[in-house]
Amino acid sequence: MNAVELIEARKSYMLGETRVEALRGVSLRIEKGEFLAIAGPSGAGKSTILNLIGCIDTPTEGRVLIDGTEVEHLSDTELTRYRRRKLGFIFQSFNLIPVLNVYENIEFPLLLQNHLSRQEREKTVMHFIEEVGLADRLKNKPNELSGGQRQRVAIARALVTRPLIVLADEPTANLDSETGHRIVDLMRAINEQEKTTFIFSTHDEHIMEHARRIISLRDGLVTGDKAKG
Amino acid sequence: MVTLKIALRSLLRRKSRALTIGVLVAFGTLLLVFGQTFTRSAGIASRESIIDNFTGDLILYSERSKEKPSPFAFNTPLPVIPEVETIRAFLQELPQVEAVVPFAQNYALLQAQKDGQAVELPFIFYAIEPAGYRDIFRNVEMRQGDFFGVEGGAPRQGILISEYQNQQYQKNYGVTLAAGQQVTVLSLTEGGSVNALRSELVGLFEPRYFKNVFNYINFVDMESYASLYNFTGVAADSLPESLTRGLEASAGDEEAIFDLAEDEDFGRLDLSSLRSETLSGYTMIAVRLADHGAVDEVIARVTAAGLGLKAARWDEASGFFARISSGLQAFIILATGLIFLIVAFIFMNTLIINIVERTSEIGTMRALGGEKRFIRGLFLAETLLLNIPFSLAAMLLSLLAVLATGAGGLPLPETISQYLIGGGPLALRLAAAPFLEALGIVIAVSIVATLYPIRVATGISPLAAMGER
Repeated sequence: MNAVELIEARKSYMLGETRVEALRGVSLRIEKGEFLAIAGPSGAGKSTILNLIGCIDTPTEGRVLIDGTEVEHLSDTELTRYRRRKLGFIFQSFNLIPVLNVYENIEFPLLLQNHLSRQEREKTVMHFIEEVGLADRLKNKPNELSGGQRQRVAIARALVTRPLIVLADEPTANLDSETGHRIVDLMRAINEQEKTTFIFSTHDEHIMEHARRIISLRDGLVTGDKAKG
Repeated sequence: MVTLKIALRSLLRRKSRALTIGVLVAFGTLLLVFGQTFTRSAGIASRESIIDNFTGDLILYSERSKEKPSPFAFNTPLPVIPEVETIRAFLQELPQVEAVVPFAQNYALLQAQKDGQAVELPFIFYAIEPAGYRDIFRNVEMRQGDFFGVEGGAPRQGILISEYQNQQYQKNYGVTLAAGQQVTVLSLTEGGSVNALRSELVGLFEPRYFKNVFNYINFVDMESYASLYNFTGVAADSLPESLTRGLEASAGDEEAIFDLAEDEDFGRLDLSSLRSETLSGYTMIAVRLADHGAVDEVIARVTAAGLGLKAARWDEASGFFARISSGLQAFIILATGLIFLIVAFIFMNTLIINIVERTSEIGTMRALGGEKRFIRGLFLAETLLLNIPFSLAAMLLSLLAVLATGAGGLPLPETISQYLIGGGPLALRLAAAPFLEALGIVIAVSIVATLYPIRVATGISPLAAMGER
């Protein structure tokens, strides 16, 4: 089964008095376990596709299926629960909760799910903290971490619920190139190890090299879909 | 748990803002608790003072009266209550009744001599049974003479005036009276005639409480009063049989009246059996109860007995005095309400600023799967975590302030004290109610003030985590 399927998905919105066509009929399929980049210049529709796949926005027209479920008609609460169960997010600006430390930020999605015991939570959190190499930074608050470290925390937080798909919106945009590469390498390693589907948007050519499949967008339309190896 | 953790740390992250709100909440709570304690204590003290000093728990008066009893109704005395002794006996039979004291209010003139000329001095008074009145009301502290001789010595008839009244006589008429002095009391009776009574000034007093009223009120014993106002009649049981028959006949038809002309007994009316009887002239009966809470029950019993009486509770019979503490309470509630309204607005605006600053954070929580109820709980927790501790701190401060006043009570400006509680310091009474009410109000205001900000917060889309479009 596909992890994601978009069928003629369109998204438009009003910007002041101007109607912006962010997506103009995008159809694509993403299989489970893929490590996929959505590439394109600013305004191409990369973030809009991620928002639709991430169930934080709905299409104006067309269908969005996540793990076989049509999500465009789900209520706000149903979408929230769906996100909680199936999706992980990595944001461009890291979006860590500033008052929680590294451990607590990573634990946060598990607390929202509320189905693991404290011991199970601790085991899971520690597993991913070690995965991202931050075992010595457990008690640090986000403002005590470097950009790369923050993004590692965000990666661990996105993975901790073992989601079907991890969505990363320009995950390296706020990092220097070396750190950016290390972050993408880390995501790739986890993808191979955990078999988690990774979908990330980028316009950085060097980052794209790491992807196994690249979907190119321009002006709200898919202009290329290239798989490697 | 994570909700509380985030809420608490978010508050600590914005310490100065939280502190400003907390201080405002604490100020409001302090005003609420201390204000309520003050007004409750004033209310209780006012009630006790009024009951103890001039009304008792209730005042009974004639059902013919159009006015309610008042400590100031000297120019328009209430109608006389007939059969006072029957009523007294009835009341004393009631288990709830502790004491019964009939009295009347009226005015007269005192005639005194100054430089060989007669000077007439205005004189308003309570006509009382001295012993009974003294038993219930302890508002009089003697300065000269004694209280009609009821506390040792032989009971005496006469008048008693306040020292202040005497000073006013001196100031306005150049006359100073002294205990033991003979005076003439002049009264205008209902029939329009002027009566004069030679009497004695048995003493001078100073009122202990409600000086602003009782400085102007004097006392006359009931027997002197009855003589002064012609409250004297013929005892019904002393009327000759023939006269009784005649009176009965006069109520019938004309024939019966003409028949009287042929009645020899009626023609030979023997007046030797007639006996005079002093009528009371009482216009009010103060009733003191063993339990203040039994007022309604006693009023119901009196009404059911058909004694021709109406009843005024102590607060109705106190003139405006009982309304002062109610008015003060209303003022404090209004002032506190306004303060809480301002606090609520400031609090609401601060929360909205917080929410705007935390849009991305809220969006992230929503994106990660936090439901609207989680966001709602988070902001509610922040509100309560901030407001309740500050409110509790203010309560503790209020408690300490109340305890600090101690047994001596809270000193008040004399004029305010006189009107509010009859005079003297106000003993603050600790009660749980003001504290519980304040806590309830703080929680309610906090929740209400958080409703709109919560609506704003839960309206934030998870898209906000990605950056606003």
